[in-house]
Amino acid sequence: MQHGLMALGAGIAVGLAALGTGFAQAKIGAAGMAAIAEKPELTGRAILMVAIPETLVILGFAVAAMILVLL
Amino acid sequence: MLETMTRVRIVGRAPRLGEVLQRLYRIRLLQLESAVEEPETPLTPVPGDAGRDERAGELRLLLARLDGLLELADSGRPGVGDGPDVPAGQVTAELDRIAPEIELLVARIDDLQDELAVMPRYLEPLRQLLPLVPDLAALDEQELRALRLDTVALVLDTEDDRLVETLRGALHELVGDRFELVATRVDADAVGCLIVVAHSDAHTVRELLGREQVRHLPLPQRYARLSFHGAVAAMEARLRDLPDELEGAKADLREILEPRSRGWRSASIRLAAELEQLEAVDRLGATARTFVAVGWTPSSQLPLLRRELELAANAEIALDVVEPAPDAAPPVLMRNRTPVRPFEFLVRLLDLPRAGSLDPTMLMALFLPLMVGVMIGDIVYGALLLGLALFARRRFAARSPVIRDLSRVFVAGSLWAIAFGFLFGEALGDLGKHAVGLPALWFYRGGRDAVEPLLLFSLALGAVHVVLGLVLGIWRSALERRGGELLERSGSLLALSGVFGLAGVAADRLPGGALAPAAAAVVVGVVLLVVPGGALGLMMGPLGLIGTLGNVLSYLRLAAVGLASAYLAVVANKLGSLGPIWMGVLVAALFHALNLALAAFSPMIQALRLHYVEFFSKFYEGGGEPFRPFGERSAA
Repeated sequence: MQHGLMALGAGIAVGLAALGTGFAQAKIGAAGMAAIAEKPELTGRAILMVAIPETLVILGFAVAAMILVLL
Repeated sequence: MLETMTRVRIVGRAPRLGEVLQRLYRIRLLQLESAVEEPETPLTPVPGDAGRDERAGELRLLLARLDGLLELADSGRPGVGDGPDVPAGQVTAELDRIAPEIELLVARIDDLQDELAVMPRYLEPLRQLLPLVPDLAALDEQELRALRLDTVALVLDTEDDRLVETLRGALHELVGDRFELVATRVDADAVGCLIVVAHSDAHTVRELLGREQVRHLPLPQRYARLSFHGAVAAMEARLRDLPDELEGAKADLREILEPRSRGWRSASIRLAAELEQLEAVDRLGATARTFVAVGWTPSSQLPLLRRELELAANAEIALDVVEPAPDAAPPVLMRNRTPVRPFEFLVRLLDLPRAGSLDPTMLMALFLPLMVGVMIGDIVYGALLLGLALFARRRFAARSPVIRDLSRVFVAGSLWAIAFGFLFGEALGDLGKHAVGLPALWFYRGGRDAVEPLLLFSLALGAVHVVLGLVLGIWRSALERRGGELLERSGSLLALSGVFGLAGVAADRLPGGALAPAAAAVVVGVVLLVVPGGALGLMMGPLGLIGTLGNVLSYLRLAAVGLASAYLAVVANKLGSLGPIWMGVLVAALFHALNLALAAFSPMIQALRLHYVEFFSKFYEGGGEPFRPFGERSAA
């Protein structure tokens, strides 16, 4: 039972963080594509901007990994 | 590394100007700047020449026309001199002769394309509405007029069917019972309607629709005199004929453009070269008997530039190195060794380094393939990616410099992936382990005890990368004597080292005696972070430390993406072992192909992000202007 709850917690940690990242990336990505269409030289900066919210899901992964190590 | 630039001044005898410009154009070693704006020598522009200005104007116009036609021809670009050498006058005469015909054909193609796009929008609502009014549909315009009836076809962009009833009510208020309205849904968010009214009420109804901004569907003029049935049949026939007619018009245009495009392309290159040389004269300065050119050249190419100029001007020329103004920003030219050069493209993708700053290409070439390799970490995936990269390089490198550079980056990444595949003992996930007993030289990523070492390895790699970035940043700040920045970066490094020390003590990897120095390093580091910012630093300093720690934690993505790839491969193998063998092989191949496709993109994007955000933010200074030598524009 306890293991099951821990595994569930790990899943929720990654899942919610991924949702947050996806939400942010959707908005930044749309704006980034619009910017690239106008100025292709902004491709690198657009990638950079899109990649910034990924830290959220990485932190979620770190929490999940710590839970799994404790399992 | 960035090439050092030297500012030079070239002074020659005026009669030699033409030969010197041609030589400079050919060797592409000098970025010309405006000599007249040089403060130390009072110069005038090169004496005006009406013929030169007129010629430049003609060339600009001709080039614009040629470029437009070449874009229309959309043919492959041959090299310089590939086509026949046609004089400019002949090109102009030819363009004048065929331009009207081309304009007519282009206009016809546009019209046909519009008709092809618009026709279904008329046809579909009519096709669906006519069965609802069979008697009316058979009447043509004259018969309708004889009956003193008018029809209005329209589309309501709505998902709500009640809008039709609202329209019916509005019409009723307006004309009483003297109308007929039939409606049908033409797609999920549009309702087609046909209104029949007495001719005397038609104007009032149209006014109502105009006021409510309802989309009318007036029949195109050529179908307006037919009955609705006749119009639908005629439109259907037209829709069948349109693609052939369009293709015919395009073929006629191709017939005119294709035989001429090679010659035009060559002419365009040659004329662009001539125009660039004419425009270069505007950047020169002059005295009574001399011309003066000022510009930047790569320092390593200075002897070659001097030699070439002496040859061109028969030694009647002087080339001096001049001290640039303190605020002058030299152009930037990246020049790295061949194995590292493909990574320049990835650095430029973010921004060109500022002149005099550090070029991170070499470090990127060292770390980026390593990170890609850690994430893929599979012998077979690595070998397949290596094969694909080599194939792309052989097949497409000549056509696209981007593919050439990217394929080389992938070759390096896939070699590291093979190396880490041996360390992790993975070949198509756990297939190598189960099928041929492939041992893991370090640890297998799919095992229960693999998470901890993988996380630690990712963090260690992150710590090395971020610390290296901070050390480079400190070095740059010290070199450029930027005190506040030096304090901040030193504080970040010290505090980060302290946090590592505290973590080591907490994990029993360091003796307890290290606790006090580690805590002191954190405190001193935070103070150094706070000091340059003043009052604001009290908030920004600790945030800066958290940001730097976040940068290190961000490298956990190496473990996350790697684990995802390893587990997807295991899932592919597990699914493959279910059911009949042929189906198993098919399913496993499908999943492995998906995993390989992900492995080709995701690790590269993640590794790039780690460089751009986590690594470059510690030392990189962008904003450089590229070196654009005289002659480069035409060569491009």
